[in-house]
Amino acid sequence: MNDTTRFVTFPLGDERYALDSSQVKELLMPSRVYSFPHAMHSLEGVLIRRGTVIPVCDLRGAFGHGAERNLYVIARCNYAGRAETVAIPVSGDCELVPSEVTFVAGLLHTGGKTVPLLNLDQVMAHCIQPAIGLASEAQR
Amino acid sequence: MEALKEIERRPLFVSRSAKPVAATPGPVILFTAGGKRFAVQASEVEEIRDRDDRTAIRKLKGPEPIDFALHVGLGAGILERFVVLKPGEVSLGVTEVERMTILPKVVPLPGLFRGAERQWYRGLLVMENDVIPLVRTEYWRMAGASTRETGSGA
Repeated sequence: MNDTTRFVTFPLGDERYALDSSQVKELLMPSRVYSFPHAMHSLEGVLIRRGTVIPVCDLRGAFGHGAERNLYVIARCNYAGRAETVAIPVSGDCELVPSEVTFVAGLLHTGGKTVPLLNLDQVMAHCIQPAIGLASEAQR
Repeated sequence: MEALKEIERRPLFVSRSAKPVAATPGPVILFTAGGKRFAVQASEVEEIRDRDDRTAIRKLKGPEPIDFALHVGLGAGILERFVVLKPGEVSLGVTEVERMTILPKVVPLPGLFRGAERQWYRGLLVMENDVIPLVRTEYWRMAGASTRETGSGA
């Protein structure tokens, strides 16, 4: 079983964050953001990429890092039950790095402590393995 | 940067979620309000009046005006022109009416836009190196009717 996958890491201010590379469509050099009046706080406008309109989501509101933008990470996400594409401004170079699949989906800050939030799907897939596979699978 | 190049080499799949949709063919009227450009389908416009016309007409119970810039969060606008929507009961107070042009394809608002803008706009026009919202006249007619009832027009 291969538990290695690849991630795209990128800086937001002083911190680095990562996305599963399968979510990342491309990286864009800074380009014009077209703004128009709307009611969504974190969206600052849209980029035009090959005729497609891509909303730009500034994550500073969520992560609190104000920084210059050097690149846009164009990524897929699920929002309100639909697959969407979003451009995330980042403040430095991105790297594609391999890594073991982590069982941690996030970090929970509670009572002054940081508690890992388990990705139960990954845990189950890794930990629950049949001692003997099905005959039909063995024949493949 | 090697890693960056590797990403760039990967096949790219451009989202089709925001591809152009069919729009009612016809020209649009471009206008500015609050320093931004907008468009309205010409077929939805009864007439365009200037400020003096509006003052005179209003005394005769003319179309209820809406300060367009104020309504979309741009602050109180400079109302120099009034775009009267059919059938003539509501007008949009705007700064300037630029011109009429051919309606390009309308791109729907990306799904991440889930606020009031979905009511304000039918979609976006990508034209002239700009992205211009196309107003949803049904909504503005309703907003005008509401303004008339509450007496809070421009």
